[in-house]
Amino acid sequence: MTDATSNAPAIKGTASSLLTESPLMKKRNAAEARFRMYGVIALCIGLGFLVFLAVSILRNGIPAFTQTVVSVEFTLTQEQFDEAESKMLKTAAYTEIFVNGVTAQLQERGLDVPFDGGTIERLMGKVGGDLRSFYRDNPEAIGVPTTFELPAASRVERYLQGNLTREMVVDGRFLEAADLDVVDALAEAGIITSAFDWNFITGADTGVDNPGGAGIGVSVIGSFFMMLVVLVLSLPIGVAASIYLEEFAPRNRFTDLIEVNISNLAAVPSIVFGILGLAVFIQFAHLPQSAPLVGGLVLTLMTLPTIVISTRAALKAVPPSIRDAALGVGASKMQAVFHHVLPLAMPGILTGTIIGLAQALGETAPLLLIGMVGYVAREYPDGFASGLLDPNSAMPAQIYTWAARSDEAFFEKAWGGIIVLLLFLLTMNLIAILLRRKFERRW
Amino acid sequence: MSNMLIMLILLGLGVVGFFLGRGRALQVAGGDRRELHSLPVYYGAHVGLNAVVPAAMLLFVWLIVQPFVVNNAASDLIAAESASEAGDLSLIMSDVRRVAEGLDLLASTEGMSDAAIAALSVDDGNLRERLAGVGVALGADVQADTLEAAKRYRAVDATGDMLRTITVILVALAGLALSWRLITPAFRARNTVEKGILAVLIAAATIAILTTVGIVLSLIFNTYEFFKLYPIGEFFFGLSWSPSFSGRGGSSELGIIPLLWGTFYISIIALLVAVPIGLFSAIYLSEYASRRVRSIAKPLLEVLAGIPTIVYGLFALLTVGPLLVDVFGQDGALGVNWMQGGTAVITAGLVMGIMLIPFVSSLSDDIINAVPQAMRDGSLGLGATHSETVRQVIIPAALPGIVGAILLAASRAIGETMIVVLGAGAAARLSLNPFDAMTTVTAKIVSQLTGDSDFASPEALVAFALGITLFVVTLALNVFALYIVRKYREQYE
Amino acid sequence: MNDMTPVNRKLGTMQDLKISARGVQVYYGDNHAIKDVSVDIAHKTVTAFIGPSGCGKSTFLRCINRMNDTIDVARVEGDILIDGEDIYDPKVDPVQLRAKVGMVFQKPNPFPKSIYDNVAYGPKIHGLARNKAELDEIVEKSLRKAALWNEAKDRLNAPGTGLSGGQQQRLCIARAIATAPEVLLMDEPCSALDPIATAQVEELIDELRQSFSVVIVTHSMQQAARVSQKTAFFHLGNLVEYDDTDKIFTNPQDSRTESYISGRIG
Repeated sequence: MTDATSNAPAIKGTASSLLTESPLMKKRNAAEARFRMYGVIALCIGLGFLVFLAVSILRNGIPAFTQTVVSVEFTLTQEQFDEAESKMLKTAAYTEIFVNGVTAQLQERGLDVPFDGGTIERLMGKVGGDLRSFYRDNPEAIGVPTTFELPAASRVERYLQGNLTREMVVDGRFLEAADLDVVDALAEAGIITSAFDWNFITGADTGVDNPGGAGIGVSVIGSFFMMLVVLVLSLPIGVAASIYLEEFAPRNRFTDLIEVNISNLAAVPSIVFGILGLAVFIQFAHLPQSAPLVGGLVLTLMTLPTIVISTRAALKAVPPSIRDAALGVGASKMQAVFHHVLPLAMPGILTGTIIGLAQALGETAPLLLIGMVGYVAREYPDGFASGLLDPNSAMPAQIYTWAARSDEAFFEKAWGGIIVLLLFLLTMNLIAILLRRKFERRW
Repeated sequence: MSNMLIMLILLGLGVVGFFLGRGRALQVAGGDRRELHSLPVYYGAHVGLNAVVPAAMLLFVWLIVQPFVVNNAASDLIAAESASEAGDLSLIMSDVRRVAEGLDLLASTEGMSDAAIAALSVDDGNLRERLAGVGVALGADVQADTLEAAKRYRAVDATGDMLRTITVILVALAGLALSWRLITPAFRARNTVEKGILAVLIAAATIAILTTVGIVLSLIFNTYEFFKLYPIGEFFFGLSWSPSFSGRGGSSELGIIPLLWGTFYISIIALLVAVPIGLFSAIYLSEYASRRVRSIAKPLLEVLAGIPTIVYGLFALLTVGPLLVDVFGQDGALGVNWMQGGTAVITAGLVMGIMLIPFVSSLSDDIINAVPQAMRDGSLGLGATHSETVRQVIIPAALPGIVGAILLAASRAIGETMIVVLGAGAAARLSLNPFDAMTTVTAKIVSQLTGDSDFASPEALVAFALGITLFVVTLALNVFALYIVRKYREQYE
Repeated sequence: MNDMTPVNRKLGTMQDLKISARGVQVYYGDNHAIKDVSVDIAHKTVTAFIGPSGCGKSTFLRCINRMNDTIDVARVEGDILIDGEDIYDPKVDPVQLRAKVGMVFQKPNPFPKSIYDNVAYGPKIHGLARNKAELDEIVEKSLRKAALWNEAKDRLNAPGTGLSGGQQQRLCIARAIATAPEVLLMDEPCSALDPIATAQVEELIDELRQSFSVVIVTHSMQQAARVSQKTAFFHLGNLVEYDDTDKIFTNPQDSRTESYISGRIG
């Protein structure tokens, strides 16, 4: 302690009174406030992006769930039927009958707007054909008043929603400005109404020419079968691998290699898993392209690291005293794990699995490579094997397909599809949170 | 379907074995289960597993090996002159398989007898039509040697199938019988069964390694094929990316540099967005925010991480892109006309940055929280303000961890696919203008493998070379980042 | 260390009063941690707070430089005056206060910076040096005062975390005195140190008494007896007894103090 020179002159300290703020302190406090403000701003920007994203999804996607329908009550007499059937252009005849019917209804309400079959075709598609096939299939409906609900064209829909203005309309094959007068009249007469579009939820994808009729239902089933594969494979494999690594594995090169592998696989870009799927499952093993089975296998490999990591955390959370207690009454190590540790870790494992599945459900990139995107999913699979092996789409792949089409009317479907996808993800995450809340255990 | 049947038979044998084993155990113990070493179910499981597992493994291996054997047997019949090149042989063999498949269908749908099939010859003339009739469309008329090879293919395949069924069932029965005979009261059935279970557990853990091996092998094989067709130097140092669309044309320029530049540029913009916002949010949430604000804002921010990338892709393509054009494009709010279209480096970079915010913020949050409270106390006790403490003590202390987090985010950005596929454009160019459309390694992997080009062409195979580059770069970044983060954590443990 | 016999202890008169606490209550949420504590601490003396773990001695120490402000759930009532100024006055900036009332913690907590930067940190943020030369001077003086100069002068740019435990704690003391505080609070400064390092730090504390008032929390009664002139005994949040150190250890008034000193509680 020789150099503890107490005679060293004192260092000059800060301002004497605590009650007055020194100029330097003022500056420092201002810097403090600024720094804090940066944090608030950053957080607000981050949350602002979230709000922006949510708003644009909802604003663009909600219209996909409603459908504009033209409902016309209409009676076809036997004479009209016979006359139409006798003509050369049968559907045109039906269209004319329809036009007359609608005109009559409009005039009843004092609205007089001239239009012809061409207008009808632009506004709601080939009505004549629909009518003809209806009456040919249901001859008993002839002479009886029947209400037809016909979906309006997507442009009409966008006009009524205010997304399409008169100025934007370029006369053409799809819509003419004059048609909008008819739409206005029909809307005023209550003939055009809005209805919930069940077809979007349950329907199949359509070709590029019919955006209005496209639905996401079939690809939901595709996703379902994929998730089934992922669940059936990744849960048992992931749990088995975790049990080995956490409970039995000796510390050696081999287990180290596995550990490093798992943590690195979790960070491999998903597109690389797509390449793996393409090369191994399709090129090498000749599994069918676009099949949910292949998609499920690829997503299983992707999800496994997630499940292993969360399962190991759940196993680790079970205190060693439980194992000791089981071993102490003469259970084998395997029995201790399977009878005591695993059941206690189960809620945590399930939570991790659900979160892993939710991730897999939204994954798109690998599906692009195994051919789930180009495929137009027009039909529901007929049965279990067909659900696994027949080409199908999946929700995110379907959304991508719609977004890649040139007709802008499909974009609305893509946004709508996103809402459906996010609802599924939300539900899964909620279940995971509830599970965690309900079974959370503090040791 | 016959494989399904074999599996069912095996399962049936397993169940039978279980009951036989359990019965035998009780019988040798004279009905007193206390005489036994293990619980009776273990004896049952012992017999059941011995019946099923070896047989199932044999079945699995056989299923993998048989196609190669059959292929070899059939390809012997292909005339050497028609298969002058290695690629041609595989093309012909795929024809052979299709014809064989068609013959199978003919046998099953039209009831053609084996003798009638053996008598088929190309001179019948209508073979192609008949095959088309059962749903096997062929590009050209069937060659004589192809037909013969197909017949041989079918025959060998059928023999293989029969042999397989018999062998597998025999092995199952043998396993059942042998293990059944082993049962005595002193036999340690539980230990054997547990050994079996342990083997299953180890096998499950090995899948992680198999996946990596699968990734590496499939990338390396196809990349090797690619470099046989395209010079390696031009791939890595080529400044131009313009694949020809003709398929097998040699006029493609497949230089990776423009793609790497696009990837790099977009990632940089993404990090420029994500790092300041994420880092400051993390600092605010961990150092300043009240518990209430934290409990609301943190999960909300993490919602951004749970949103699938396709959503971000669509957001970039349909919302952010047009918005940016409204600002920077022709007749835009700024009147600068810098931006021609919605898909651009800045669009993809911005949206990717939004995606990465929670990634940076939650990792940094963890890392900042790992800085010991004693550091904060030490600084505050000296009369430092909170921000001085954060800037001069906490951030320097957490720096390695934060760098690790940023590297992990960078590896995410480099590997991200959907946002760039939808938001960045398709043109590969070396440009400094962030308002230009550019493309990335991942986007080109997608476009080269989803197009119509022939799978053996350099235009398709280049995707594997791109894939291996991507894999190596992201892997290196990850390993490095995880190493830094681990070192950092060890420092404070 | 023989110069620390009780003989030469001169107690501060009321003119030397540095800190004066009246009716201090501290709550951690619902937990009433400090119950109505009043105490006067003299200038240029070493005051020791002793008592069993959880008795509130550290909590009270942290009130004196408002370190409790950094804990969300902590609430302080009552008055603490330093030089007659209420430190809980809304006009008082706790940051400025802490420059005046330095603190040394239980575990040595050098920043992950060089030795030089560790010591220079305080003077830099408080703007005590006009130029590099002055800063160098402050660093040297502080290190000398903390009895670390000889060991550290050749490795000022080495990281502070590379020093031994005792050196680290002396570095923390140097860091605290570099801001020229008037009061130095020490929260069990030797509890993480080995006996040799402890002896060095204790000797240092006695030196520091000449420039600062030192308040030290310790769970070692021997340490309190060795270094302090006044001792306060805390028990279950109450200040049980406060008097000259030798009086507390030789002739305690309260039966609880006596039980503690003779090892029956604590």
